[in-house]
Amino acid sequence: MSRTFEHSQFAHCESGVISTLLTSYGLKISEPMAFGITSSLSFVYLPVVKISNMPLIAYRNLPKNIIRNISKVLGITMVKKHYKNPLEANADLTKFVEENQLVGLQTSVFYLPYFPKDMRFHFNAHNLLVVGKEGSDYTISDPVFEDLVTCDEKELTKARFARGIFAPKGFLYYPQHIPENIDLGKVIKKAIIKNAKTLLTPFPYAGVKGMRTLAKKIAKLKLDNNERYVKNFLTHIVRMQEEIGTGGGGFRFLYAAFLQEAKGYGLDESKLQEASELFVKSGNALREFALLCVESSKKTQKFSPQAISEKLIEASMFEEKACKILKTL
Amino acid sequence: MEKIEIPQEENKILEGQRKVMYVTDESGHFERQKYGSSAEEFATQVAVEEFEQLCKESLERIKNNESSPIEFFMYKNRMDLPTLCSVVGMFAFRVKRHLKMKHFKKLNDKILQRYCEAFDIRLQELKEFKA
Repeated sequence: MSRTFEHSQFAHCESGVISTLLTSYGLKISEPMAFGITSSLSFVYLPVVKISNMPLIAYRNLPKNIIRNISKVLGITMVKKHYKNPLEANADLTKFVEENQLVGLQTSVFYLPYFPKDMRFHFNAHNLLVVGKEGSDYTISDPVFEDLVTCDEKELTKARFARGIFAPKGFLYYPQHIPENIDLGKVIKKAIIKNAKTLLTPFPYAGVKGMRTLAKKIAKLKLDNNERYVKNFLTHIVRMQEEIGTGGGGFRFLYAAFLQEAKGYGLDESKLQEASELFVKSGNALREFALLCVESSKKTQKFSPQAISEKLIEASMFEEKACKILKTL
Repeated sequence: MEKIEIPQEENKILEGQRKVMYVTDESGHFERQKYGSSAEEFATQVAVEEFEQLCKESLERIKNNESSPIEFFMYKNRMDLPTLCSVVGMFAFRVKRHLKMKHFKKLNDKILQRYCEAFDIRLQELKEFKA
């Protein structure tokens, strides 16, 4: 790795970190590509799993999916380390930094002091890159931020050893060996078909069906005596989409960008184009859906569960169509 | 190619930062662009306010000798019960008991210390907490 590290901002932390990490180790790969070849687009609505009393809703695959799958699909050997002892974890990290080796970390947002106060929730699967150390301060390239940030050793250690759901346990990773002559065309085709199939799963709480299940749940929401819950529920959906997710239908746009990039690899370009456009439409519908959710929870007179529900179903229609096209690739 | 609308609204939560998302330019190519979303701002605010509300309600219950200060600090640190259980390493039924004043009063310092570490406060602060 060269001494000069160029920080860039990304739409999503995990794909951003992997993209920078692999690029700096010699394999140039964009963020949409990293997101796409790991088949990371998803939708999950699990009412039994509660986070702060709210159901689990996710717009992409589980955290760590990208790190786990990127080595599998590209044949990269990744060093993945968990630690029990924070002191040892910290000593190791300092060693990597001194040797000028770029490493990725999994952290909890709540303990990172450079995050704005109101963004600090117990979300344990935030990824970042450590690029340097001065005194007891680490220099960090956090893909969510515009510039490099710094974080004290003590606080970073705390963030690395946060507990709870998706606990990082000091997780540290970097690529050790990257094979030459990777046949990206083959990898992309396989990944797209796999992703299309997972989105079309018959399981009612995931993929296209999951979106419809959530839509049904929203349509049944009633305001009477339940205002606080309704408000929290609707904004929770938006938060999972915007803050934890990325800008409206951000993941949909990210995937559309991937399909666009996939065109240069000898696949059926008209199918990719059509599907890409459908995902943009779905992303736009999801943004409108988020706006409707916010409107409904701001003013009770404007509460219209039917309209919100229909918007989500509209988005699911676009995705179903896109996946059916991609399956035949 | 369908156009992507990028919101350029103010989002105070981010304290001057702006996040990026992928959008298409005129020729249909994707690029990253900065955006600001007031919908996102509102949603985050509601979540923050919900915890503030829970803190307030908890203070009321502490005054009535129903809830223990642990409950207040749990909400103050934006935790829910499963998160707190995992941080202190105890089963939920045990932590639930500790959230009640009558059980809290009987707790020894060793147990209380575990909660103090979770909330990053001194033992005194937890023991002498006044609502």
